[in-house]
Amino acid sequence: MGRAAMAELRRYLLAGHLGHGECLRCLHRRPRHEPPHPRQHHHQLQRRSLAVQAAVTADPAPTPTPPVVPFRKRQKEQAKALRAGGGDPNKQKKKNKADNQTVPGWELTVGIEIHAQLNTARKLFSPAAAAPFDLNNGAAPNRHVSLFDAAVPGSQPLFQLAVLVPAVRAALALGCAIQPVSRFDRKHYFHWDQPSGYQITQYYHPFARDGSVTLHARDGIAPEDGDRVDVAIRQVQMEQDTAKTTAQPAATHWIDFNRVGLPLVEIITHPDIHHPATAAAFVRKVQMLLASVNACVSGMEAGGLRADVNVSVRRDPALLHPAAAAAAAAEPPPLGTRTEIKNLSSFRAVEDAIIAERDRQIALLEAGGVVEGETRGWSLGSTETRRLRGKEGEVDYRYMPDPDLGPVVIADDLVAHLASTMGLLPDAELDDLIGQYGLSSKDALSLAMLDDGARIQYFYRVLDSLEERLRSEPGGGGPDDVTTTPTTRTTTTAATATSPSSCSSSPSSSSSSSQRHALLAANWCLHELGKLTELSSDLGITPDGECRVPSSDLAAILCHLHRREITARVAKDLLWGVFRGAIPPGRVTQTVDAGNLWFRELSEDEYAEVADAAVAGEDKVLAEFLRFKQGKAKAYPQGKLMFLVGKMMRAGSEQRMDPASAETLLRARIEHVYLPALKTRT
Amino acid sequence: MPVRGRPRGLRLRHASLPTLPQRRLLNQFISKGAALCPNEPAAPSLAPPAPVRFTLAIKDNIATGPASSQSPQPTTCASPFLANYHSPFEATIVAQLRARGARIVGKTNLDEFGMGSHSTNSAFGAVAQDTLASELDPLSAGGSSGGSAVAVAAGEADVALGTDTGGSVRLPAAYCGVVGFKPSYGMLSRFGVVPYANSLDTVGLLAKGVGRIRELVGGDGKETGLWAEHDSRDPTSLSDAARRRCAKGREGYGTAAPRRRSTEPGGLLKGLKFGLPLEYNIEELEPRIRDAWAKAATTLQDDFGARIVPVSLPSTRHALAAYYVIAPAEASSNLAKYDGIRYGVRDTESASDAAGGVLYAASRGKGFGDEVKRRILLGSYTLSSEAMDNYFIKAQRVRRLVRRDFNRVFALDNPLHEPETFDLTELDESIAMEDKWGPEEVDFLLCPTAPTLAPRLEDVMSQTPVDAYMNDVFTVPASLAGLPAISIPMPVAPETTGGAGAEGPATAGLQLIGQYWDDARLLAVAETVAATLNNTHPAR
Repeated sequence: MGRAAMAELRRYLLAGHLGHGECLRCLHRRPRHEPPHPRQHHHQLQRRSLAVQAAVTADPAPTPTPPVVPFRKRQKEQAKALRAGGGDPNKQKKKNKADNQTVPGWELTVGIEIHAQLNTARKLFSPAAAAPFDLNNGAAPNRHVSLFDAAVPGSQPLFQLAVLVPAVRAALALGCAIQPVSRFDRKHYFHWDQPSGYQITQYYHPFARDGSVTLHARDGIAPEDGDRVDVAIRQVQMEQDTAKTTAQPAATHWIDFNRVGLPLVEIITHPDIHHPATAAAFVRKVQMLLASVNACVSGMEAGGLRADVNVSVRRDPALLHPAAAAAAAAEPPPLGTRTEIKNLSSFRAVEDAIIAERDRQIALLEAGGVVEGETRGWSLGSTETRRLRGKEGEVDYRYMPDPDLGPVVIADDLVAHLASTMGLLPDAELDDLIGQYGLSSKDALSLAMLDDGARIQYFYRVLDSLEERLRSEPGGGGPDDVTTTPTTRTTTTAATATSPSSCSSSPSSSSSSSQRHALLAANWCLHELGKLTELSSDLGITPDGECRVPSSDLAAILCHLHRREITARVAKDLLWGVFRGAIPPGRVTQTVDAGNLWFRELSEDEYAEVADAAVAGEDKVLAEFLRFKQGKAKAYPQGKLMFLVGKMMRAGSEQRMDPASAETLLRARIEHVYLPALKTRT
Repeated sequence: MPVRGRPRGLRLRHASLPTLPQRRLLNQFISKGAALCPNEPAAPSLAPPAPVRFTLAIKDNIATGPASSQSPQPTTCASPFLANYHSPFEATIVAQLRARGARIVGKTNLDEFGMGSHSTNSAFGAVAQDTLASELDPLSAGGSSGGSAVAVAAGEADVALGTDTGGSVRLPAAYCGVVGFKPSYGMLSRFGVVPYANSLDTVGLLAKGVGRIRELVGGDGKETGLWAEHDSRDPTSLSDAARRRCAKGREGYGTAAPRRRSTEPGGLLKGLKFGLPLEYNIEELEPRIRDAWAKAATTLQDDFGARIVPVSLPSTRHALAAYYVIAPAEASSNLAKYDGIRYGVRDTESASDAAGGVLYAASRGKGFGDEVKRRILLGSYTLSSEAMDNYFIKAQRVRRLVRRDFNRVFALDNPLHEPETFDLTELDESIAMEDKWGPEEVDFLLCPTAPTLAPRLEDVMSQTPVDAYMNDVFTVPASLAGLPAISIPMPVAPETTGGAGAEGPATAGLQLIGQYWDDARLLAVAETVAATLNNTHPAR
């Protein structure tokens, strides 16, 4: 996920997380962040959460609840309206993507092939190192090439058993049945990136078959697909990668054979997908699944994953004449002629290319043309797919069992062992995060996907460390005069105000304390940490979940924050300090001590003093409250209240004030002191 | 360094160095090792060589690398594509033999990539046999390891390496009157052997007598036998565990000498059962060979106490067709790497291989010889989606039947397969049943190596390719089944129909085929049989 996505995440957070956890109150109460309808906005983003990452500009109308069944019915109505209006769907203005999931009267069918590079130390058939092949990463080209990789005469393939570990895990994560015997075939075609003239693959006897991936609404599927949709996997096969070609000026191509022979899995679906967004969600989900079992080296952005999509359209069977529809029900009409779009390298490209190809095919058919089975290409940012080669240019791959390679026999005990050591799959993990910790599904998904799964490891570390601190130093840690001022606690800050249960947008009114800790940790691991890298370098996060901000230090900050020993602003400053290295590891509390940054809240009397000063001369404003009280205004003038709180904050000592406390006090004081006084004045 | 001959349209990079003159222009070598100069210090990088115990000629589709000899020799496969190709590494079998005291004398000529039966399809010219008439009217040396057979026959090498895919070691051995041995598939490492058809290719050995081959393969008490050496770089090389398992219940491996029932000379043969496959008595079989075959069988039975049993191998008649589907299919795949970009000569007139460009096609069209192109086309067709089911798949089924035929007639089980039960109704009626379980099972099969004697090169050149394919009819079945087989010289009666001065060949090849991994006993028995054939035919 790039930086833009992160910024978007943050915008979303500020808009959507009102009321999650007491410690962010000061942030949330800043009026400019307050959305008019936070709940609704939240919901909508959740439904199309992932498209947000890819297409920030998309701003679809809220879709409050997913349409459950009457999709066909709605389509019929749309078609009817279309006929009545004589409109042509393709003549319409360019739609944004969320509205462009269906074309009335047509049914889209998509099958996907995903190639993912397996996470192994060696190549598929040679002991050469599977080194990074990206020239930009400084890997020397053509360094890791064995005799077989270069197809030197007389060399032979040597299957590297260790490849089976990530391969089997990948297949298990995709719900496949591991085949006890699989075989390697040679697939022949000439290309400079393939020195032997054939690719060794498993097309006819793959090592895994019959899997299934469940996509939930939170995965970003098209709203038309409802809450969830299952995509059936036909097979998963191992195969060799080709050499990497880098185009140079003047018709020159550089070829890096470091990549030749690297192990890939090819994942082939059944044509089960009918909406472009769902196709993109599927690819994203597969990437997440592979990353979660450590089967894959890198995601799409780094070139570790590529997708080919097969696209066809046909007249929507539901829209045929009654007679034809009856016939169609008995025997469904065949799918339309499909075209294949090769080498899509981003989620966005998957969705955009499918939309473009679907529209091209429909326009062609409606103009009386015929779709030809052909291979097409797609460039990022374009609006049309382009023809690469047609049927006449199709290669007969002349598949042949590789005579040097025996069958791969995978025993049940290996499968059982790999399955038992695989860890929690993302969906189970997400269910935990959402159900147990109370995270929003959007945040849960972001946590799980960021940094190829390292971010969530970091989150767990922070949470563990935070719980540890809260357990081991109950109620203590800070200066006594602050933490144990009973008056401040019990009277000024009503207990209800500090508990999430009082917040209207809280997911549950029975949040446990551990849930509050988790929410706090998640918010900071996701959003505050994300802000750190907006401008400068990265977090340096490691796969086992550590980064430039040690998890124990973040936990220390959060511990103080949770106990209201420091303000949120101080907490953020501390985070920056740790990130920049200004605060050495393990010195958070000392820094607070040294800088005298502890939160020493005003007493109730002191608050009242500040409030009195702020209200002085604001009779006009107070009149609004009076109007509400007298029933002349419908809504409580919250804006006015916040205006006064703001004035208090500016007037008083900000380091010693909690906006929430100030608000509570002010509200009570308006009710009981200022309004009666105003009445008497007027 | 090339001895003579030059690939069509190519100049070889290395100038000829002075070499020992060959007696006749047999063209058996593509390159020869430099004569060792005693004063010349050995290259410092080379390990002290093992004391030279024998000279070795190597078929030029087996890689020799910088370590193989002091003057590096190319590995050409007799193809223009590889005319200047120096392999960066050495084949395992070459290293194994050097460790056993081999000195490499040269790389021998062959049919391009091993595709042929007469060693005429070579970019370096055809090989001819060393016979009295060879200068005027030379005889075919057989193929594709013709150069190796001629080098052994001419005494230029004690042992020669060949490759046997469908008979390429046994056929030239039979034509040239030497011994040619094809081991069980998976026994000798193919690493460094440029593949023709991987599932059939084996490294074979040629020598004048069986003894030296037996010592190399089975061990001679000082050196380990080649049979015991697994090569981790060849995925089809049997693992150590599989070798031990296969050798269990086999005679001749390790210290256990083959069992003898008699101490007399030839006593090893007493009680052995030799099967004569009825299907091998084909119409095209040269009568003199048929007579010699029958005579040899009679001798073994009458003079040495062996038993001769007629057996049936009903799938034999389909074996040749299956071979010429499978081998070209694999060849078309293996040769896909020769595109003129990395090896061979790039066709400069077609510079582009972009869509519509024909760079590879043009380079391959110019770079391969006719027979290779023929087999690539054949293989490409049989693998095409429309023909695959009718050709390649059916051929694989035939292959399975051929193997089943052999398993049925041999007394020993094939250690690579579960024992099968057989339907007796499929058997030829002429086969006598030993008991209610079926016909007698045998130890070895005894049959001619080729249906004809060595033909004149002139006749070969006018043959159609299919005529040439016919020569492989007796050798292909053992290749399809992966079984060990050996061709030993068998004297034939002088030509009676020819006029004065007819100098036809005096020997044919007698082939012995054994059950899988019965190589050691096969070699021991073949050595004895070869001796008996000589004793009983003093004319030789």
